[in-house]
Amino acid sequence: MADDPENSVDRTTDDGDASKPEKMFTLKKWNAVAMWSWDVECDICAICRVQVMDSCLRCQADNKRDVMGRQDCVVVWGECNHSFHHCCMSLWVKQNNRCPLCQQEWSIQRMGK
Amino acid sequence: MSLKPKIVEFVDVWPRLRCIAESVITLTKVERSVWNTSFSDVYTLCVAQPEPMADRLYGETKHFLEQHVQEMLAKKVLIDGECSHSNGGPDLLQRYYTTWMEYSQGIKYLHQLYIYLNQQHIKKQKITDTESFYGNLSSDAAEQMEIGELGLDIWRLYMIEYLSSELVRHILEGIAADRASNGTLDHHRVQIINGVIHSFVEVQDYKKTGSLKLYQELFEGPMLEASGAYYTDEANKLLHRCSVSEYMQEVIRILEYEGRRAQKFLHVSSLPKLRKECEEKFINDRLGFIYSECREMVSEERRQDLRNMYIVLKPIPDNLKSELITTFLDHIKSEGLQTVSALKGENIHIAFVENMLKVHQKYQELIADVFENDSLFLSALDKACASVINRRPTERQPCRSAEYVAKYCDTLLKKSKTCEAEIDQKLTNNITIFKYIEDKDVYQKFYSRLLAKRLIHEQSQSMDAEEGMINRLKQACGYEFTNKLHRMFTDISVSTDLNNKFNTHLKDSNVDLGINLAIKVLQAGAWPLGSTQVIPFAVPQEFEKSIKMFEDYYHKLFSGRKLTWLHHMCHGELKLSHLKKSYIVTMQTYQMAIILLFETCDSLSCREIQNTLQLNNETFQKHMQPIIESKLLNASSENLAGETRIELNLDYTNKRTKFKISSALQKETPQEVEHTINSVDEDRKLFLQAAIVRIMKARKVLKHNALIQEVLSLSKVSFTPNIAMIKKCVESLIDKQYIERTANSGDEYSYMA
Repeated sequence: MADDPENSVDRTTDDGDASKPEKMFTLKKWNAVAMWSWDVECDICAICRVQVMDSCLRCQADNKRDVMGRQDCVVVWGECNHSFHHCCMSLWVKQNNRCPLCQQEWSIQRMGK
Repeated sequence: MSLKPKIVEFVDVWPRLRCIAESVITLTKVERSVWNTSFSDVYTLCVAQPEPMADRLYGETKHFLEQHVQEMLAKKVLIDGECSHSNGGPDLLQRYYTTWMEYSQGIKYLHQLYIYLNQQHIKKQKITDTESFYGNLSSDAAEQMEIGELGLDIWRLYMIEYLSSELVRHILEGIAADRASNGTLDHHRVQIINGVIHSFVEVQDYKKTGSLKLYQELFEGPMLEASGAYYTDEANKLLHRCSVSEYMQEVIRILEYEGRRAQKFLHVSSLPKLRKECEEKFINDRLGFIYSECREMVSEERRQDLRNMYIVLKPIPDNLKSELITTFLDHIKSEGLQTVSALKGENIHIAFVENMLKVHQKYQELIADVFENDSLFLSALDKACASVINRRPTERQPCRSAEYVAKYCDTLLKKSKTCEAEIDQKLTNNITIFKYIEDKDVYQKFYSRLLAKRLIHEQSQSMDAEEGMINRLKQACGYEFTNKLHRMFTDISVSTDLNNKFNTHLKDSNVDLGINLAIKVLQAGAWPLGSTQVIPFAVPQEFEKSIKMFEDYYHKLFSGRKLTWLHHMCHGELKLSHLKKSYIVTMQTYQMAIILLFETCDSLSCREIQNTLQLNNETFQKHMQPIIESKLLNASSENLAGETRIELNLDYTNKRTKFKISSALQKETPQEVEHTINSVDEDRKLFLQAAIVRIMKARKVLKHNALIQEVLSLSKVSFTPNIAMIKKCVESLIDKQYIERTANSGDEYSYMA
């Protein structure tokens, strides 16, 4: 094809001209709905026993305001791939710097945002 | 004048002093020089050498006053007995009054004359306030009083004691005459009676305690008794000739007149007592009569009568008013039931709320107008409304008010032609009805589902109105109640932002997706999307690029999140160019996917379509049906499954070039409603169990009844649980070993850590 650029150009124009009336259905507009959730293995925070999608017990009790539709209470993943509420975990590590589920040394792999 | 004490003979000074004292007490003119001499005479006697003669002076003065009062009684008050009255001369009251006016003034002057004796001699021995307060001094008969007080006491002893029964009889006659003449008694006469009555008070005014005792014993008692008898008599008369409504008017008039009369004659302390007597005789004793037409008055809403009845009943104890209040309550209730029970048809929710509001507003206005916004009546209104709104049609059927009210909000908040101010007003009113709903959690369920639909399908009239309503609910029920609603609301505004950013991003990176893309990203958990099971779906390649672009962008923006596409809630516009005219059709994603398959061929079997798109039977049929109905595609059989052929309808025409394929999803099915109600029950059980555990954890040990009470108060905000449900929850918690029954008592629980 590279050898014969003219030909290819021609063909595309041909195609273009032909496809325009031939394309019977065209997508004009799409109103899509998606749902996001934390990409976690377990839906429940093992420390406070609340769903990770909700804010942790402490934050719920404090009635923390939403910040741009999201409560401050985000999720944190450890190197061991276990996940908890960041609030819960930061309290936990003050006592014991290990993952409550697997007892590995706790280090943060990533944080939800 | 020398202040030096000197030797004097009592008999030398006293006759001179006594003479002046007499002039003073009879208000005869006394020269200033004479007054001064007498003043120093008092002093001289009090400080006389070798022995002060104060006691003797006191004794003689007392004797003089006694004599004087007795003389006045005989000469000025009792003259000619009663005969002078019939001659038109002054009667006993008049004579007593005149004498008293003179004496009471005179004794004040005399008191001044004796000021040295009073202050230096008598005050010293007087018991102090504290001593009299604790009453540890027996009132000594020989105790000396200041001259003014002594004079008043003597008046009481010799004048009032002697005349009391006659005086009281005359006064009562006078008051009776005033009543008989409708309060037109001669002004002068009124003054006399008033003066005489007040003399009973004034004569003891100097006393620190019990200064009204004489007045009360002597006069007030008999006066109240006589008035009581008069009232009873009057009430009887009225009863014979009046209807209830007239009777109440009369009573109000009489109460007012009696109030004025009491002010005219009596000491202030008697006013409430007389009023009470009057109310007792005219109202309390006649309650049966007053209430006899209560039902009619309330049901016909005779405002003037009700107003009168309220005025009449207002002062009596609350428990006696209950009949009026109960009647009123029943009346509102029956009217409420009448307006909401016969409702039928599509717009039942609108009629329900608006009728109920009308009833509420009407009676609120009536209470303000007629019952002075009395809290008893307002609470009756509340009770009546609550019982109408929370009534179940039958024992088995659930109460549907919560659903109606939620749907009413939905109607208001959906796009319509109503102006915003009106909607705002109606939403505010709606809260009035909302507050009466017991099953607020049911309302919340319905509301959040309807809100979700409005937000996702962009049917809201205005986002401000939506937010306003959520804030109203928050105000009424608290943060927790609206937490999820709020999160839904913010998801939408965040999504709008996100779309703008995404579009800018596309422009910046020179990508044209060829379609107008609007994506809503919802957070899991906040939206009532039922079980969010993802229906398997092979996304057509037409969508794939858009999806991929967006996901990439999203993951760049946020970390740790995964996106799930809810295709059953997506919709879009498809341009059809295969027909004579071109059409733009709005439809669901699945429907778009189905039609897109016909790009390359004119006929497919149901099985082929299903296999290509990976759709399950249910979803396929639900979405295929409306397309067949719209005639864009034709089916070879009504059974949309298996080998049934689906063909592109090449002869399709429609007057409109832009239309919509109605979707089955947006209509609410009865199953959905039922599902909503059932899910409420599940939520309630969880809520109750959590509440019980929380309470027990705090209290450790609690009696059954106390526990029930605490649970009730905790759940009050969102619903009223029935006791059986609480008991079930307690049982299940015992099974799960959260709590246990204490060993020694059957109705006590303790928390197990």
